[in-house]
Amino acid sequence: MNIKGVLTVFNKEIKDLFRDRKTLVVGILIPFLIFPLIFGLMGRGIESSTKKVEENLKIGVVDKGNSSLSKFLKSQQKVTVIDSQDIQKDVKDGKVYVGLIIPENFDNMVNENKQVDLKMVMDDSSQSSMMAQGSLGAMIEAYSKEVVKSRLTSRGIDPIILTPFTTSIETVSKEQGGFTKFMMSLMLPLMLLMYAVSGPLAAAIDLGAGEKERGTLEPLLTTQTSRMNLLFGKFFAITVMGVIGVISSIAGLMISMKISPGVFGGKGGLSFPIPALVIMGILTILLTMVFGALELSISIYARSFKEAQTYLTPFTFIGMAAAYGTYAMEIKNVSLFLFNIPLVNASLVMKELINGLFNPVHIAITFVWIFVYAAAAIAFARYMFSRERVIFRT
Amino acid sequence: MVEVRGLSKHFKEVKAVDNISFYISPGEIVGLLGENGAGKTTTLRMIATMLKPTSGTALVNGYDLIKEPHKVRSQIGILFGGEVGLYDRLTARENIRYFADLNEMDSKEAEKSIENLIKLLGMEEFIDRRVGKFSRGMKQKVAIARSIVHNPSVMLFDEPTIGLDVTSSKIVQDFILSCKGENKSIIFSSHSMQEVEKLCDRIIIIHKGKIVEDGTLDEMKTKYGQDLEEVFLRLVGESR
Repeated sequence: MNIKGVLTVFNKEIKDLFRDRKTLVVGILIPFLIFPLIFGLMGRGIESSTKKVEENLKIGVVDKGNSSLSKFLKSQQKVTVIDSQDIQKDVKDGKVYVGLIIPENFDNMVNENKQVDLKMVMDDSSQSSMMAQGSLGAMIEAYSKEVVKSRLTSRGIDPIILTPFTTSIETVSKEQGGFTKFMMSLMLPLMLLMYAVSGPLAAAIDLGAGEKERGTLEPLLTTQTSRMNLLFGKFFAITVMGVIGVISSIAGLMISMKISPGVFGGKGGLSFPIPALVIMGILTILLTMVFGALELSISIYARSFKEAQTYLTPFTFIGMAAAYGTYAMEIKNVSLFLFNIPLVNASLVMKELINGLFNPVHIAITFVWIFVYAAAAIAFARYMFSRERVIFRT
Repeated sequence: MVEVRGLSKHFKEVKAVDNISFYISPGEIVGLLGENGAGKTTTLRMIATMLKPTSGTALVNGYDLIKEPHKVRSQIGILFGGEVGLYDRLTARENIRYFADLNEMDSKEAEKSIENLIKLLGMEEFIDRRVGKFSRGMKQKVAIARSIVHNPSVMLFDEPTIGLDVTSSKIVQDFILSCKGENKSIIFSSHSMQEVEKLCDRIIIIHKGKIVEDGTLDEMKTKYGQDLEEVFLRLVGESR
């Protein structure tokens, strides 16, 4: 193997791949656009529901006694109270977001210090209705407190007796965006693993099975360049395409966070410390190399594009399985043993880094293993490229 | 100059090539004639160092294909039949240049060789266009240029006209004759009697991995008193 020979192959493959619309669309454009599109739509949906309910909370009321509660509700800002004849139908049809049935003798019962049974009607298939139910519940709770307060005051008791203590919440994370971090610790490992697997896929198929199908492999093997030059030139080109795919998807996710902060539960933007970014970047590149080498090995074994696609499709599930396996794990109580399991270790280290935890032992174990996988995957690719039965499999 | 010495290739129990020996002198076109599966392609692939022989060897301009495969590859050019095997998204020039670089030519040498081939094969009009939409004849010219860009002294042709129309076949045949004119040693594998008769100085008939006859057309006609097709059928039939 020599650097000039590897570079010749690498340069040609990169030029060829960048001229292939299919590879660019599948490997770069879709990963870049998919998150802004999905989260943009989700964000717009959520924002529009929230806005509608916040700006005009339409409540249908059945209140034959014209109670003080409905007067209280009518006095609230941005609330429209509509007298309803058929409350179930009005809620179902969306005429009102939520309904409230107030007993006819509500005021009398309140005055007699009795407990009144109110009934709320909501549509649990509608996000607006669910949000409106929360708002209505809060208003009723506020009115209820007022009633209690006046009852206690009339008896000469300080209402504070009902609130022996108050609670305030302080988060341990120094920066804002704890929920965003939580969301990212769920999503980012999943994405990085999936794209480390799927990023090099299109290029690996094209540069392995594609060479066979086009009939370009045999002429290549008759040139003076060694098979290892061919293998490593292709391997580096595939890795570069994979890494570009990963970067595209992360860029897409960052854009999503900016344009649809509501979906991520924050005001947008989440910054990681540089060392965390570097470690996550290297982990992803190494994983892309591991999968790039494996995918190229299998692709060169396949007789055609179609066969390679059939063999390589299950690879994406491997990445998903590892990421989903760690999805709900509480990162602070993870067993050391899990850092010896392929991919699970990478996913866990990423989760730790996103949550601001730097555990050198976990990081070291994971890196050692990933170097082992990368070496094994490259050795496997070398073995496959040197096998006549693989190269000339027809 | 190619000298094949007791070359064999076994795939598990199958003897694809079985202890064959022959030679090709500079400026000579030797036809490797045989049915499908006779061992022609396997023989060429071994000479081109793509496959390792099970036993035996070959010398290409004095380089042993077992001991010096890299040197052997520097001496040979190979043109395959069927799919021409070009990169559709690269231009004709880029396709040829890639193979010049893979054959370790320096930049000036490669450019000079490509310019000569453009003139020789009449590729001026399409040399800088991507090959994806080329006609079969245009692609054939690019494939020819690619196989010879490093100026090899030994040319291997593996059924190069298979599936080609008359015009494209003529391009290939003229190219083979021009290689002869340049004193290259040429092996031409085919199962077309007419082509072999038309182009070859000497014919090796191969069947089930073994050489069943090696001689000039005239020698064979004299020996068997029949035309090539009948000679071929007789020899192949005898060994069945």
